[in-house]
Amino acid sequence: MAILFEYLFNGAVLGIMYALVAVGFTLFFGVLDIIKFSHGDVLTLGAFSGLVSFLALQSLGLDLPVVGLVVVLAAACIVTGAVGALIGQAFIIPMRNASGFNILLMTLMIGTGIREAIRLFYPNGANPKAFPALLPKTPIEIGGVFFRLDSIVLLGLGFGVILLTNWLIRHTKLGLAIRAVAQDGDTAQAMGIPFKTIVLATFALGSALAGIAGVMHGIYYSEINFSVGLLLGVIGFSAAVVGGLGSIWGAIIGGFTFAALQTLWVVVFPDASGYRDVFAFTAIIIAMTIWPTGIIAERYSERV
Amino acid sequence: MKLTNLTTSFAVAAIGTLLTGVILVAENQWAVIGALLAAAALSIVLARLKIGMVLASVLNESSAWVALLIPLGGVIIGFALHEEDFVLMMLATVLIYGLACVGLTIQFGYAGVINFAGAAFFGIGGYTAALLGEWGIPSLLIIVAGGMVAAAIGCILILPVLRTKGHYAALITIAFGLLFRSFLEVNHTLGGPQGLKVEGASVAGHSLLDGIQLGSFQASFYLNYVLLALGVFTICFILARNLEKSWIGVNFDAVREDPIGASVFGVNVAYWRIMAFVIGNFVIGLAGAIFAMMQNFIAPSNFTFSDSLIMLSIIVLGGLGNLWAILPAAILVVVMPEKLQEIGEFRILVFAVLVVLVLRFRPSGLFPRALRKFRREVAQ
Amino acid sequence: MSHLFSARDVSVRFGGLQALDKLSLDVDEGTIIGLIGPNGSGKTTFFNALTGLCQTAGGQLLLDGTDITGLEPRHVYSRGVTRTFQRSRLCLSLSVFDNVVIGRQNSLDLNIVSNLLQRGRFNAAVRENHERVRALLATFSEMLAGRIFDPLHSLNMIDRRRIEVCRALVAEPRLLLLDEPSAGMTPDETHEFMDDILKVRSNNPRMSIIIIEHEMDLMRRVAERCIVLNYGRKVADGTFDAVVADPWVQEAYLGTS
Repeated sequence: MAILFEYLFNGAVLGIMYALVAVGFTLFFGVLDIIKFSHGDVLTLGAFSGLVSFLALQSLGLDLPVVGLVVVLAAACIVTGAVGALIGQAFIIPMRNASGFNILLMTLMIGTGIREAIRLFYPNGANPKAFPALLPKTPIEIGGVFFRLDSIVLLGLGFGVILLTNWLIRHTKLGLAIRAVAQDGDTAQAMGIPFKTIVLATFALGSALAGIAGVMHGIYYSEINFSVGLLLGVIGFSAAVVGGLGSIWGAIIGGFTFAALQTLWVVVFPDASGYRDVFAFTAIIIAMTIWPTGIIAERYSERV
Repeated sequence: MKLTNLTTSFAVAAIGTLLTGVILVAENQWAVIGALLAAAALSIVLARLKIGMVLASVLNESSAWVALLIPLGGVIIGFALHEEDFVLMMLATVLIYGLACVGLTIQFGYAGVINFAGAAFFGIGGYTAALLGEWGIPSLLIIVAGGMVAAAIGCILILPVLRTKGHYAALITIAFGLLFRSFLEVNHTLGGPQGLKVEGASVAGHSLLDGIQLGSFQASFYLNYVLLALGVFTICFILARNLEKSWIGVNFDAVREDPIGASVFGVNVAYWRIMAFVIGNFVIGLAGAIFAMMQNFIAPSNFTFSDSLIMLSIIVLGGLGNLWAILPAAILVVVMPEKLQEIGEFRILVFAVLVVLVLRFRPSGLFPRALRKFRREVAQ
Repeated sequence: MSHLFSARDVSVRFGGLQALDKLSLDVDEGTIIGLIGPNGSGKTTFFNALTGLCQTAGGQLLLDGTDITGLEPRHVYSRGVTRTFQRSRLCLSLSVFDNVVIGRQNSLDLNIVSNLLQRGRFNAAVRENHERVRALLATFSEMLAGRIFDPLHSLNMIDRRRIEVCRALVAEPRLLLLDEPSAGMTPDETHEFMDDILKVRSNNPRMSIIIIEHEMDLMRRVAERCIVLNYGRKVADGTFDAVVADPWVQEAYLGTS
């Protein structure tokens, strides 16, 4: 029983990371109806910039517990936000009338470029890098079940960020503008909303979430690898799609669904844990067959 | 008119053969860069003078046997460089990837069925060849079996692919590609991450591992694979060309451009999407089987998502739906990284940047597809 | 007396919106019916329901007395109903010939083996279809027939409309549905197009046409009977003059009282 709770808890930590990535996909799709597949590699970039900022702090002798975490998160958010907006500015906005496939392929290639750049230009970038333990890994016992303190903090952090994002979208002027652009870009523009600025702000916001997810990933696994972005990107994309593109809560549900599928497999077939991704992706394909536009269906109409 | 068309086609083939040969043999990477720059300059000039489109339509409207210029050029290069193992292996690889891209063109270029799992179907062909090779089945049959198994396994995806659209459909094939790869990694009967050994091909009792010997003429065994790949490529190329210039090709285009409009005019949209998907996977599977036999060894790392991307990049760089553009683009994508060793480490980065730039500034590709005209058929 | 086509109490619902509300109408062989009504009154929805593009929530669609309600679009086509669209649904990247020849779907040989390998037979089929398509284009304009292998995107608006009508006609339908064919045309083009429709009509005296139009001049000239829709319901049915004179129609649609 105790082991089951541990599985559930670890699944929840994974789920919150996937959800953060998925929310980014859903935001981008909301404002421009595009899939920005470089998202996963932007996440890796976030984790690496967090790592660099930590090493800088360390060399200055400022690697204090809380300060370290804050600085690392801030560095990751700033870099990913800037890179996300830059990709939007340089490649996506100019191509918004191109076919969806072209944008998908192009952002996949931009992601490949980022991944390769990390591998080549980060010292010894091809090997996994140890990620600093910014949070204590002290085990905490609750009713006979052991939880890692850092995981509890990560879970809380993830939920906090998501609630903050939701508040931002629902209750601020920026959020109102984002929702207006998502409803209908042309009308929003006609109403005096600076379309391009809002789109770029959305890209920055979504990418910053990926930066946070990257740091969380690094802390949780204690290491970071240049190639994690591809799989995390696909998982985040799956989560966003299963939840119905364009819906924030759908993306969160999708993220937890994916983590739940992986965890479920490992719990039921511990000997064949290698097949957990095979199972999770099969389940996604089946889910998409049953609900072709996601479990929470995308608002969808075909003009004839 | 006819004579000029013929001359043009020959000229294009000759220039293509020559450039391919130069790029293949160039030892000095500056020569490679020079040849690439020459090709780039040529294509820009052609585009500027609108000759590119004219050339494309000349090739498109020429008679079926003009396609035989491809094996002619291939045989010339193959025999001219018959001792160069590495060069011939690259040539064969170009042809095999080109063959897989013929399949992708039928799926995505013609019918608009997206497939981000090209490498997975390529791998299914390869693993089929590895498993059947142990039983002493004739190689040509194994190649066909590779195609058939790929097509059959692809049928699992028909329902999901039919029911989803756009980004959702893209996700289905991406998920399948990743699923396939992880499956191979953990499955022990298929060799796990170490992969499997594959029997080399033999045709009419002659093992392709023995190079052709005629008196003083001694060829690398890779020449055999060049010829095998060339043969299969040419057959599939001609058939795909016929497919495009047929009522089925017209239906594919209608399904891609506007499925709703097509359905109102009696087009069975689902049927044609399935057809394109199955035929395409068959061709990709053929390519995978030949690839596995030539490599003698396959592992999951040969069939990654990045490989699927490389295949899609070939058809998009070349010009979506243009069969003639496949080989030039495949040469660019397959040979260039091998040749530019100085870039070596940076080649994937360079390649990614190249694709991004082409998509950004020339989205219809280097050699856009020509309009289908039935002038020749009408005139006969 | 039996009609070529009848709608019996046809309803269509989109979520909470009642797009068609128990619409009934009859079309006799060889007549041209005008369908008028304000935007959102359900005219295009009626075409969509009839051609199988949207689900009906009740009622029956009868062609020659057989029920065609709920058939897939391609099966409706097979029974001899073709249409044009308000926003043109042609394939811009294909040639004029390809766009029109799709309309002959049911007479094309789609066997994969004969398409790939029996090229002689295929070429003969191309010649035959080319002849037909050319002749059809020539009834509209000789110039258009000369551009049979031009890409569609090089054509202007009226020629594109003509191509769409040709695609619908080449199937030799019994019922032709034209959805706002004059949309986006200049008055001169509209006038020219009117002549085209009358020409089509005199060439195919047994074919019936339902035409949706806002252009009242066009309606007056071509429609033998007019049906007025409002909020998915039929509010008037009769000759053009009678319908226009109806005070209800004047108020609801034409906006004068």
